[in-house]
Amino acid sequence: MFFLSSQTIRRHRHLYAGSFVALAVGVFLLGLAATATAATIAHGTANLVSITVTTLGDADAAPRPVKVPMSGEDVSGLQVVLSLVGTISGFITIFVIASTFAFAVASRRQELGLLRLIGATPRQVRRMIIGEALVVAVAASLTGALLAQLATPLLLSQASYTELAPVKLEPASPWVPLAIAVGIGLVVAMLGARSAARRAGRVGPIDALREASLESARIGPVRVIFGLLFLAGAIAMLALIRPSSGEGVVPLSMFTPMVLVVALTLLAPLIVPLLGRLWAMPLVAWTHVSGRLARSNVIATPRRSASLAAPILAISAVAGSMVLSLSFAADSAAATIRDTLRAPIVVTAQSMPTVSGVGAVDAGLPVQFVRAGAEDAQLEDAEGIDPAIASQTRALTPLSGDLSQLTGNTVAVSKQMAGFEHYQVGDEVPATFLDHQAVKLRIVAIVPDGLGVNPDFLLPLDLVRQHNPTAKPERLFVQPAPGVDPTELVTRLEHAVLATAWEADQADGVRQGNQLGLVLLLGPAAFYSAIAIANTLLMGSLQRRQEFVTSRLLGATPNQIRRMVLWESSLVGLVALSLGTAITVTVGILIRHAMTAGVADVPVTVPWGILLGIGGLCLTLAVGSALAPTSYILRVVSQETVVHQRQ
Amino acid sequence: MTATAPSYPSVVPESAPALVLDGITKTYRSKAGAVDALRGVTYHFPRGSFTAVMGPSGSGKSTLLQCAAGLDQPTTGVVVLGGVTLRGLSEVALTKLRREEMGFVFQAYNLLPSLTVYDNVALPLRLTGKRPQRAEVHAVLEQVGLGDKVKRRPAELSGGQQQRVAIARALITRPSVFFADEPTGALDSNSSRQVLSLLREATDRAGQTVVMVTHDPVAAAYAERVVFLSDGLIAGHLDRGTPGQIAAAMSDLER
Repeated sequence: MFFLSSQTIRRHRHLYAGSFVALAVGVFLLGLAATATAATIAHGTANLVSITVTTLGDADAAPRPVKVPMSGEDVSGLQVVLSLVGTISGFITIFVIASTFAFAVASRRQELGLLRLIGATPRQVRRMIIGEALVVAVAASLTGALLAQLATPLLLSQASYTELAPVKLEPASPWVPLAIAVGIGLVVAMLGARSAARRAGRVGPIDALREASLESARIGPVRVIFGLLFLAGAIAMLALIRPSSGEGVVPLSMFTPMVLVVALTLLAPLIVPLLGRLWAMPLVAWTHVSGRLARSNVIATPRRSASLAAPILAISAVAGSMVLSLSFAADSAAATIRDTLRAPIVVTAQSMPTVSGVGAVDAGLPVQFVRAGAEDAQLEDAEGIDPAIASQTRALTPLSGDLSQLTGNTVAVSKQMAGFEHYQVGDEVPATFLDHQAVKLRIVAIVPDGLGVNPDFLLPLDLVRQHNPTAKPERLFVQPAPGVDPTELVTRLEHAVLATAWEADQADGVRQGNQLGLVLLLGPAAFYSAIAIANTLLMGSLQRRQEFVTSRLLGATPNQIRRMVLWESSLVGLVALSLGTAITVTVGILIRHAMTAGVADVPVTVPWGILLGIGGLCLTLAVGSALAPTSYILRVVSQETVVHQRQ
Repeated sequence: MTATAPSYPSVVPESAPALVLDGITKTYRSKAGAVDALRGVTYHFPRGSFTAVMGPSGSGKSTLLQCAAGLDQPTTGVVVLGGVTLRGLSEVALTKLRREEMGFVFQAYNLLPSLTVYDNVALPLRLTGKRPQRAEVHAVLEQVGLGDKVKRRPAELSGGQQQRVAIARALITRPSVFFADEPTGALDSNSSRQVLSLLREATDRAGQTVVMVTHDPVAAAYAERVVFLSDGLIAGHLDRGTPGQIAAAMSDLER
């Protein structure tokens, strides 16, 4: 059947061009993430300033020495971003490939039926489709890998000396990472082709005789069951996982919409016609015939419409959810900072002169230490505080233990860190300070989380001075003396602002940090989805040559056909965007609910501009890429008609 | 035309028939209700015969052909092709039977557009897992008068040439039964003649059986027997009729 695959692929170039481009770009992004990760790993093993710590070991792992790089040389931030980029790219690729292959099969029912008629068994038809997919996948994966290799130096030069990787990165050996990317590309393509091939195997010989190759609208019970399972899984994920920090939100706001997208795509042949009917109501009312035709076309071929809607649904849901969730995370961070800071004045200086009217100055000293765990060791941020002062200026009422015992080799741990590590009061935290001295810190208190104000570990001020004599405070929390008006006091202090202004600054900082992350994470995915959306709609329109010719012969003007295609692609786009919106709203609400539990008066910031921008972009792309090939076909068709009339 | 009772057959051939239809009914169920396309058709197609099936639109001709070729499952009744009962055969067994014993020619869309003429004709052999012999493929193409079009693709051929390629493809596996559904429906009279002569030759020279559905009396006149179908039942038959006689019988039926 491989003979047949290589012949038929030529004929269906435009069908497979879509799959080729989608897969090549997917492998390109994966390959880029992989080579860049290899570069960071290669850098990590090079000589750099680090501290060697012996891990604790447990039943599964013997104690071993590990090198922990100093924050100045840390490239793990870039590694995390790259792995997330790789995950998103992989997901969208699987998704787009599956839908383009499904589309390729759906538009060839008659041909597949003919093959069955002249004696191809269902197995042979399946093998033919798999063979076609393999040819496309090999070519596309190798192209993608080659492009990735060419683009790697550019990416690394852009990524060097940034916040995420404050070092110079050099390309590492590309063979292993590119082999992985190509391998993933092939696996993804085969997974996508498998379901398409199975559907192709079910085409009967009688389909060769059916003029209209309208597929049946029914979807299998297995598909419905899986769709519902994914739906339930996503809801359970959202309900059960309760992220309390911004860092936890990113993966959750990425993965849950993915699962929801898979669920809705499985159920799409049921949902798309319903929503299509709804959105078509105004269309049918406003337009003469084009809106009505567009509605029929969308509803009568639910699988086709679902394939077209899939990439729009995927990117709008994932991008929307991440944008909204991170905005809510910033809201919740703002509320936490507001609730944690009790002092009304913040001085952004290393020290302050004695001024009358100042009650207490909370001058915490930032410090880092390496904390050894069972299997690894991590660099942790900590702050040295005076518990007597800090409990006036910050919300530090212990959840358990007693903060006044914070003297000597002791530590107070945030509720979140205690939860992760199952710390309890009385436990010991093995710590190595940057002066290479190892101490065991006894936990004296568990305190509320104070993201943005307190780090996860609070130490006695003296302990910090002892291990890092040069430590300087970064900001001072100032409590006025009783009876002194903070607004008056602030005018007499240098570098001083009211707490409310400082809090707003901090929240803005969180928001800007999020923005950078979003651009890095969504940039490649959005680029890819744009290609995918254009791709599927282009393929879809090119397939309809015959239909356009018939409509022209029936007396439809080119403008009427263009209008029909316009309404049709808008309809598909709107249906996909409404599903994407539903996912975004669900994820946003549930994540917000989880994050703001126990915090009162959390501000609501919905980034309308970005969200509407995503929707508008998707719709423009969808309509544009449906109209362009239609106009092209109509031009060619009208020329042919002229030629025919002359003959 | 002699009107006969539905309980045809009158002529029992010497050898076993190539194709037997026994009490075939076919009911389509749709939202609008059940439609009886065939209401009990019994007929024996003798080996080496050329039979045309005619009837007004909606008389069930195409359904009859599809049931006879195992493309569709009759609601009740039995189809026996070359001694093999079709009912209960697995999809693969049915495919293999189709590959070896049946040839198909339809009104349009008979060829894979991506393959050359040669590859289209050789395809059934390849599907069987055999390596096609060049000489064999060329011989069949010579036989249908397309020996010089081997490397063309279907889009470069006229409608009549495409139909002849389809016949060549059907000939190459030496099937016992040819099924043809309006094979000349889209052709001019000259091309029609060539296609029908080829089908005629298949029965005369190779002893193959041809079952052809058509609405064209001229085409039907190539067959030695015309079977008339009306409302899902066999309404009668006409042996060795001229196009004029067949047309008259048809208009009687449609009245």
